[in-house]
This record gives sequence, structure tokens and C-alpha cells, in this order.
Amino acid sequence: MNNLLRKGNRGKFFSKFLANYGQEIVLLSSMIILFIVVSQVNPRFLGGNNLNTIFSGNAYIGVAAIGMSILIITGNIDVSVGALIGVLATICGTLAVSGYPIWIAWFAPVVVGMIVNSIVGFIVAYAGIPSIVVTLGMMSILRGGLISVTGGDWITDMPEEFFLAQQNFLGIRVPLLTLIFLTTIMFYLMSNTTWGRSLYAIGGNSEAARTSGIDLKRGVVLAFAIHGMFVGFATILFATQLNIIASTVPPNLELTVITASVIGGVSIMGGTGTVIGSTLATILFAAIGSSLIFIGVSAYWLRAIMGILILSTVLADMARRRRASL
Amino acid sequence: MRVLIRHESILLLVVIIALFTLSIQAEQFATIENLLNQGRFLTEVSLVALIMTFVIVTGGIDLSVGSILGLSAIILGVAWKKMGLPLPVAIGVALSVGTLAGLFNGIIITRFRVPPLIATLATLALYRGLAEGISQARSIRGYPDWFFILGQGELLGVPTQLWIVAFFTIFTGFILGYTTWGRATYAIGANEIAARFSGIAVNKTKLFIYSASGFAAALAGVIFVSRVSTTRSDMGMGLELDAITAVVLGGTSIFGGKGTIIGTVFGLLLIQTLKNGLSLAGVKSDGTYVAIGFVLILTLLISNLFNRSSEG
Amino acid sequence: MILLIHKMEGNMKHYLTVLTSMLISSSMAFGGDWTGGDDLPTNPLPCSGPAPAGEAKAYDGGSPTNAPNRKGKNITVVDVPKLVGIGYFAATTQGIMEAAAEMGTMDAKTDGPSEANIDDQITLIDNYITQGVDGILFAANDPGAIAPVLKKALSKGINVVGYDANSDPDARQWFVNQAEFNGIAKGLVDNMAGEVGSGGVAIVTSTFTTPNQARWISEMEAYSKKCHPQLEWLETVEAQEDNILSFNQANTLINKYGSDLKGIYGMTSVATPASADAVTQANQCGNIAVVGLATPNAMRPYVKSGCVKSVVLWSPVDLGYAAAHVLRAVADGSLKPGATSVKAGRLGELSVINGSEVLLGAAFTFSMDNINDFDF
Repeated sequence: MNNLLRKGNRGKFFSKFLANYGQEIVLLSSMIILFIVVSQVNPRFLGGNNLNTIFSGNAYIGVAAIGMSILIITGNIDVSVGALIGVLATICGTLAVSGYPIWIAWFAPVVVGMIVNSIVGFIVAYAGIPSIVVTLGMMSILRGGLISVTGGDWITDMPEEFFLAQQNFLGIRVPLLTLIFLTTIMFYLMSNTTWGRSLYAIGGNSEAARTSGIDLKRGVVLAFAIHGMFVGFATILFATQLNIIASTVPPNLELTVITASVIGGVSIMGGTGTVIGSTLATILFAAIGSSLIFIGVSAYWLRAIMGILILSTVLADMARRRRASL
Repeated sequence: MRVLIRHESILLLVVIIALFTLSIQAEQFATIENLLNQGRFLTEVSLVALIMTFVIVTGGIDLSVGSILGLSAIILGVAWKKMGLPLPVAIGVALSVGTLAGLFNGIIITRFRVPPLIATLATLALYRGLAEGISQARSIRGYPDWFFILGQGELLGVPTQLWIVAFFTIFTGFILGYTTWGRATYAIGANEIAARFSGIAVNKTKLFIYSASGFAAALAGVIFVSRVSTTRSDMGMGLELDAITAVVLGGTSIFGGKGTIIGTVFGLLLIQTLKNGLSLAGVKSDGTYVAIGFVLILTLLISNLFNRSSEG
Repeated sequence: MILLIHKMEGNMKHYLTVLTSMLISSSMAFGGDWTGGDDLPTNPLPCSGPAPAGEAKAYDGGSPTNAPNRKGKNITVVDVPKLVGIGYFAATTQGIMEAAAEMGTMDAKTDGPSEANIDDQITLIDNYITQGVDGILFAANDPGAIAPVLKKALSKGINVVGYDANSDPDARQWFVNQAEFNGIAKGLVDNMAGEVGSGGVAIVTSTFTTPNQARWISEMEAYSKKCHPQLEWLETVEAQEDNILSFNQANTLINKYGSDLKGIYGMTSVATPASADAVTQANQCGNIAVVGLATPNAMRPYVKSGCVKSVVLWSPVDLGYAAAHVLRAVADGSLKPGATSVKAGRLGELSVINGSEVLLGAAFTFSMDNINDFDF
């Protein structure tokens, strides 16, 4: 701390910047190094198509991870996110093939996502049951319910205009654009509005938040509702990417989303982190997955190396934090 | 402490209601044969959940248990078949590797101060990856007959692995409820800093608990291999969530400091009762999933309401 | 012990580096064989001409102990597929229900795990044994893991018949084989060679541990080496049973190999349509062929657009239909060890191969001309 005071204004700004956005910097630099190294092995890695695959193909995970980050910052978690995306995608596709206007098909997952998660948030906030418990239960309900309703039939023959995620806008794929747009907005809202700061207050120190006049319970319900909205957005990208919708729960999606959020720098204890980190982490993991194929790592060892890289990111972040706190 | 007992009593009541209703709904349910048989299916998740209770009581979590199970199963197979070790030695190697994997979790958590959820999310990917890499995605079969006694045989009319679970339950229940180690576990979960200042070896305790968690997962892996007579790298996928569900249903607070072994046991019993009983009563597995979800939420809801009214 | 812990802590970074380099170097060392295959012996078919008749093999299935006489009686049957919630097994269920309705003496229901998980499947079967069904139909997630519980069913006098994915032979009575592994492999590789001529091909599969897929890949390798050596194998990628992941993996293959990639094999009914979508969206239709196993409904858009020329599959509806008929025949006692054929309703006589397997027929190729005739 004393060190900090001795430095000049500029140094102070810099170290503060480092302290606040350290994990984002770690992720970004890892990504840049990765891109440079892999493109030496195979220049096609940096081809427009591949960047599109990495960025746009995984954008839905990033969007869901934004919602998850908001929850985690308030000290909550949602393990039902994968099951919910499966259910919402089925609703979305069913509406689209049943002749409803496209905008209703797009809008429905957002609304239903918000309703489902508001209920979860309500139980968490007002009945005082930890979110991991409620969402574990919710995961079970959604997963079982989806199969008993659809019986596993896939949805095809959606109208041409339905496939939002396959469109380009200003020469950029819509999923990537959506991810950038939502990340920017949420970053701004969370760092510059009373609501945003109240999220950190809820997660960081509930007692302090209470005494400072924040309505804790309403805050938690609202965080869940907004997370639900993001799950809805993620679903739109998920459901409109391919010409078929498999009305099942995507395997292990909840783990992918949670991993992106927490390794993106959102402290699981709540109270810190930004959504830029979770977005960068999503892209970094997608890039690692792609690059391991490009480098030609044996497919059998791929997951182990992925695990080591995730672990290294975590340890690098911890080392940085420790140094920053000295 | 009163509050804790209340949750477990409510849970017991729910278990009894479930047992009663289901035995009326399905005549095959309440037979000794069926109930003992269910013990086989309960074993792996029970072993893991019992130690997970300790982990969660300290305010931690271990998501890597399913992957450790898979890794140990593969190590068992590789050590025996590929490296030609005698099977008992291979079992020992598998259990040691599982324990070391748990210890490694513990080191990342205590030494590098990585939050348990993040640390074990990372090792979840790593250990599963190692299992896949080491096995080269080949399954290993052809174990000698005596090995199957563990997972498919009986001892005094009771499935062999149930004895192990019974021993584990009493042992862990005793440790958590009646020893200094148990009190240290609670103290860490209630307030880690205070625990440190009151002279509790916080890090050592945690290292021990995470190693035990790895050991339990490895033991579950060995029993699983014996039960299904084959080894695959994808064994135990999703086990972590089943175990955590049982523990939190049993009343252990996810924030740490609160929880009992008996609660976890009730949680395990309730889930297995529902899975088995509903199926016997003609409900399909998707309906059973929905029912388990509702029971999980409603039980905690009711329990919380009771506790609140008794407080207020 | 404590000393060991301290030592490990200090050297953590070192360990990680060593571990990583070990992994990478060992991963380089494995080459040669096709990733994703198994080690079982292969039996490639001749490049052209009819398949040689297999050697007659004695019945090697199991038999139930003290099974009651079920001839002509109403029987309750449970069907436990690998997983529920995918189109393929929805179609086999449809076939089983069709057969049950037609016979009028079979009370069938499908109940399976929501993920292709060996343990959930075993638990479910065990529950139905306790419940006391007359017959069990199954598609195994693992041939060995499912064996103990099936043997238990046999020991309780339950008739056990498999379809789609086999178990150890002695753990069930009969297995309805949709098409032999080497036949499927020949179908896929011949179609691929016909479309691309020569060049690099890659595979998108579910997981390397899925037995059927691993078997097909091994047979494809053997057949391809023997009959189409001009096809160069590039690599196999895993994509679970996940649509978007399959799509992304196929895209990565396209991006990595560029014009060196001539064709993609989809090994599952999930991977094939997703790979076709990737090729479509990359505007590579005509340059990269997609050949694979898939259901016609999922492939219709890609076949109609001309991006996919042919899809190889048996009819899963017929497979379920045949399995139900075989089970009925076993329960009636009309299908006994040593039989050489069995009557299966509208499918006519099906022949017995490999001792205790009933062969549905050869794999079928769907194309633009006939894909509209099928709805599953």
C-alpha cells in the first residue's frame, strides 16, 4: 500500500488499472500470444473464416456468461443455465415453425427466461435458499420436463428469416456483434450506474449493502431476471445458428458457461470482476480449443491440455493478485 | 444446533412419507431384496457425498470428484492390464492417484488461495482429460472373478459395498460430530480467519479434507469398475452434481459452517427412494427428474419456513 | 507426508511445465492409427462384388432361467435406449410401438436416460427387473458395463433382446443388427470415394469411447486402406452429442485444411447434419462432401439444397419394429437357438448371422430422389 502512495499520479493510475483489470489483461495477452504462436504453425488460423468460427460460433456461451457474471458478482450461481437454454431453444423453434411472426419467436425466450429466473431469484431472495440448491432443482425439472414434452423430436424447416445468427451486419457476424454490444453495455451499466454498483455491494458485503439502504432482496431478484434475459439472448444465437434445433439439453453447457465467468475474473466469492473478463475468457477457451486442433495435438490428449491451460490461467491470475496485494 | 436438528427431522419426515407412499404405489418397492439392491446403486455417490459434506462444511466445494473417479478407474485398468501389476497393487495405485489428485486440489486451494469452485472446475477438466489421454479412449475389461465380489457380490446377505458405505458413514459421522477435527471443520466454515487465530491448522485440515475427497472418489471408482466389470474414461461424469444435491438436500449450508452426516445420509436416501420408487410406480425417468427437482426445492423451502417461524 | 506436500508446493510451476511438455510430446508420439478407432480385429469387405458368406456360428447368446410360458400371452416390455431426446431413438420407439400395436399382445414403453450414461441406463434396467417385466429391449451404452444387469434379468426369467448397440453376447438372447459394421464402413467409404475421388478426409464423431462409432471408424480405416488408398485420412475430432460443438468442430476442420479437405464423415445423427450446415455456411458445397450416418428428417434441408448427395442409414423405425418382433418370437418360443431366420411382420423373413444376431438388412443410402419418402 505504501508503495502505491509513493508513486506518481501516472503510476498510481497505471497500477490501479492493473489491479482492476488484471485478469482481463492476462486473458488478452494470453490470447494474443496464442494467436501469434499458432499462426506461425498454420497461417490459416488467422483466416477470416476461422476467426469467425472462434468468435461467432461461441458467442452464445459468452452472452450467457455475461448473465452468469452478474449473478456471481451478487454471490449467486445458476447451474440450470444449460437446461434452460435447451428449453428456450425448443420454445423458440416451435413458435417459428408454428407460423408465429419471427419477432415473437425471438422474443419468447427472452421473456420466458426472465420469468423462470425471476421465480428462482424470488425463492433465493425471499425464502433464503442458496441459489445453487434452487438451480440444481430447476435443472432437474427443466431437463426432465423438456424430454417428456418433446420426446426428442428435432425442429427443422424454420422460415428463412429466422436464422439471425447466420446474418452479417456491417460485414460482421451478428453473434459477434451481439456479444460485443452486450458486453459493452453491461460493462458501462455495471461500472457507472447506481444499479451496477449495488450489484457489487450485494455480493461483496451483504451487511454493508443493507445498511447503505440497498434493498437486498429486490436486488437479487432483479439480478436473476437480468441473467434470465441474457440466457434468452444466448438462446436466440444458439437456436438460429443451425438449420436444425435439437430439442435437448446441450451437454455440459452449464460448466462451460460457469468456467468462462469465473475464470474471466469474476470472483466466485462475489463482489468483484467485470463482464469483459468473462467475454474474453469465452473467446480464449474457444481459441484454445481451435488452436489445439490446428497444432495437431493428439485428440486423446486435447482435454488434458485444455485443463492444464485453464489451470495455468487461474494460477497466473492468483500470482498476479498476490503481487498486487503486497 | 436446534435449527440443524429441525432440518433433519423434517427431512426424515419427508423420507418416511416418500417410503410410505411409494410402498403403497408399488408393491415391489418395500421388499428387503429391493432395498438392499438399491444400496449398490447408492454406493458411489454416497462415498463421495459423505466427504463432500466435510468439504462444503468448510465453505468449499469439490467439482472434480466425477473426474477423479474416472481417472482412478483408468489408472486401475492401466496399472493392471498395461503395466502388468497384480490387481491388488493396481487398486492401491488407483487409490493413491485419486488421493494425490485430491491433495493437488487442496494445494491449489490453500497454497495458491484459488477459490475451491474455480480450482476444482479447472481440475475437473484436467483429470477427465488425463483419464481420456491415458486410456487412449480404450476400455479395459477381463478382470478376474474375485474382483467382482466388491461390486456384485454379497457378504452375509448384504451387498459387499454396502458394508463399506456403512463403515464410511459411521466413521465420518463420528469424526464430524465428536472429534476435534470435526470441530475444526465447522470452525473453518463458520469463520476462517477466526479459526486461524484460534490456533486451528486451517490449511492442513483443508489439505486433508480435499485429499480424503479424492480418496473417496477413487474408492468409488474402484467399486464402480467392479460393479460394471469394465473401465471407461467417461465414468462418473456428472457425479459431482448428484453428490452436491444430496449434501445440500441434507441441510448442509453451501456457505459453510453448518451440516451433518446424518442429514447427508437422509438426502441420499430420499433421492434414491424417489429414483427407484417412482420408477417402480410406473413413472418414467424424465418424470422422476422433475419430481426430484421439486422435492429438493420444496424440502428446503419448508424447512426454511419452519426455522424462520421458530426464530421469529 | 507433510514434507512431500511442501516439496510439491515449491515445485508446482516446474511440475506443470514438465507435465505439459510430457503431454505434448507423448501426444506427438501417437500417430499412424486413426484416432477414434478401437483395437478389435477388422474384417473389411471386398472392394466390389458380393460380401462373402460368413461362417456359420453356433448360438452364443444367453438364455433366461425358468422363463414362464409366454406363448401368445400378453407381455409387458420395456425399451431402454442409449438415451432419450434424440431423433434416432425417437424413431426406434416409433417402430416398437408400431409393432406392439400390430401384434396387440405387447404392452411396450420406452424409458431411457437423458444422457448416454452407462450408470443411469443400468439403474433403469435394474428397476424394471424389480418391477417384473416380461421382456427388455436395449441399446447398450457399453457392451461390458451393461452385461451384469442383463444377466440378472435373464436369471429372473426375463426375455432380453438388444438392438442398435450390442452387449456381450451371453448377456442377452438375441441382438437385432441394423447392418454389419464392415457393411456400414463400406457404404460410407464407397460413397465418399465416389463423391470426392481422392484427397483428404476427416471425421466428426461423438466421443472416442462410444463403441459403435469406434468400431465403424476402425472398419472404415481398414476398408479405406484396402480399396480406396487415394483417400488420405486427416484427423478425427470429438464433438459429443452436441449440435453447435459439431458445427464448430467441422468449421475448424474446414478452416485448418482449406482446399486440402475434400470430405467430412459424420459418425452420428448429430454430427452429420451439423457438418453439413458448416459446409453450407462456409459456401463450400460442392467442394467438400459430407457423408455420414443421419436420419432423413434432419438431413432433408441439406439433401434438398444439393449440398449433401447421400446419407447412409438403416431405417431406425424398422430396427425398432424388428426388435419388437424378435422379442415376441423369443417369448413365444418360436425363435430358438440354432434358428436361421425369423419372421418380422411387414419386414418378412430376417436372417440370423454370427450365431445370435438377427440382421435387419444392408445399410440404405438416402438421396435427393427418395428422401421425401421417409419420415423419421
